[in-house]
Amino acid sequence: MTMLDDDRLSALFAQAAAAFEVPPVGVTEIVERANAPVREQPTDDGPDDAADDSDDGGRTATGRVRRLASTARRHPVRAVAACLVLVLVAAGAVGAAVRASAPSPVLTSGLPHAPASAPTSAPTRTSTLPPKVAPQAPIGAEPNSSPATGGTPVTTPTAPPLPNGAVGQPAKIEQSGTLGLSVRRGALRATMTQLNGLATAYGGFVASSQTQSGPGAGGTPSGSVTLQVPVANFDAALKGAQALGKTSSLTTRATDVTAQYVDLQSRISALEQSRQQYLTILAKATTVGDVLAVQAQLDSIQSQIEQLQGQLQVLDSETSYSTLAVTVTEGAPPPQPVPLPESGLVRAWHDSTDGFLAGVEGAIRIAGPLLFALLLLAAAVLGGRALWRRYQRHNL
Amino acid sequence: MVEQQLEEWLEEGYVASFRTACLILGNRADAEEAVQDAFLRAWRFRNSLSGVPSIRPWLYRVVVNSCYSKLRSEIPHRDRRADDGPLAHLPDPTDRGADPELRAERSEVAETVLAALQRLPVSLRVPVVLRYYADLSERDIALAIGRRQGTVKSRLHEARRRLAHDPALSALVGEAGDTLEEAGR
Repeated sequence: MTMLDDDRLSALFAQAAAAFEVPPVGVTEIVERANAPVREQPTDDGPDDAADDSDDGGRTATGRVRRLASTARRHPVRAVAACLVLVLVAAGAVGAAVRASAPSPVLTSGLPHAPASAPTSAPTRTSTLPPKVAPQAPIGAEPNSSPATGGTPVTTPTAPPLPNGAVGQPAKIEQSGTLGLSVRRGALRATMTQLNGLATAYGGFVASSQTQSGPGAGGTPSGSVTLQVPVANFDAALKGAQALGKTSSLTTRATDVTAQYVDLQSRISALEQSRQQYLTILAKATTVGDVLAVQAQLDSIQSQIEQLQGQLQVLDSETSYSTLAVTVTEGAPPPQPVPLPESGLVRAWHDSTDGFLAGVEGAIRIAGPLLFALLLLAAAVLGGRALWRRYQRHNL
Repeated sequence: MVEQQLEEWLEEGYVASFRTACLILGNRADAEEAVQDAFLRAWRFRNSLSGVPSIRPWLYRVVVNSCYSKLRSEIPHRDRRADDGPLAHLPDPTDRGADPELRAERSEVAETVLAALQRLPVSLRVPVVLRYYADLSERDIALAIGRRQGTVKSRLHEARRRLAHDPALSALVGEAGDTLEEAGR
């Protein structure tokens, strides 16, 4: 521009401005209007005059909504971005709230044996009940009295309890359980000793015991002990055993053998009546042949009675003493250091790849929080920018 | 004390503010409303003057914001009316004593300049008016429009470039350069 320099431009603007008549309204009148009550001032601004909206506290919410809508129309991209940020933040907040209120998972990594054993063993064992036997009764008392700790897989009978006297006598229940304990390193022997003492303390005995001190197939020292304790003390013994270590698995089982017991009793009673009748016949026998025939029958009946009585005693024993099999495992040993290759180049290569993988893992690990932080930052920047512009407009 | 000073400042800057708004808006009525509104707001927010380093850019900032509000909210709708052109109130009726030929020439210059300004986008029109009519420095313009000084400099450069390439304005400058210099004084 050769001819339209700054001075010429100023002159042109001055001449163009001078063509406008200055209105007669003076500053004094404007000041008087400004000092008047706010409600009496005419509002000439449009609905989307964002520069005027801080000086009047009486603006209605409708006006603000209209101004907001107008602003959104003027800046559609920013409005959409702000909406997206708000939606993401709201979704994150809702997700965090839902996650916080959800119950913790039952299966944890600290209990590696739980998932495989607990869910599959329960239906298998319950299917071993005789068809005519009533559903399983709980162990001793209510099912809720299980001493299992939170997060420990527990298999407990869920069948309703059989009432006493339902078949003419108290219910006969077989109880058994398996407990997996994890103890700290070097505490295996002491724990086994305490378990033996536990059986004695609760009026029972140790049916079997086995200890493997050296690293076995599992790589850690372990031991197992089978306790026989009175049924009444089963729960107490179970709690005592659980207190000796960290419960890694727990399975309890209760089987109602009342029907078998009553059946055996009935059969024994019938056979005894038959034997009594044969004894009467034997007393009346006059020939040797008759005596021998009756004696043979008596021997057979006596044998059956003794066999059934043996079964009855077994059931008595099983329902008087419960079996608790405890498996004790020491904590996992620290990982053995992998011997490094002797070659420095190979070692450097491994270090390099390990570092690379660690970096990738770290990047992936922080990507989620970083993305969330970026979203929050973007929201803060947008909000701060809007507030700053608003502040600049209204605090001139 | 602040009220008295502000009233004095408003009195001094009223004409310049009004004509600045006229150049920005291209319409006398809108400029009058914008300046009144700006002065009303300035008076209501006079308590915030204590933290203001310089009153002049502050006052122009209020005026510019009022002009922005007019441009955003009302003028786009009102411009649809054919009988309300931007130069509806030209020429100045108070200039009746001047030579009719000179009055006609001044009116033509004013219309050409205003038309050229209206062809500029608002983002360029406001800085160039503040710079070459209100005679604000680039720093004060930056304060007035709420942008950085570098932004103001680049906008002024672009505005000058566009005005220099404006055919009507170039023709006017080429034909009546001397007269313009005289009129500008």
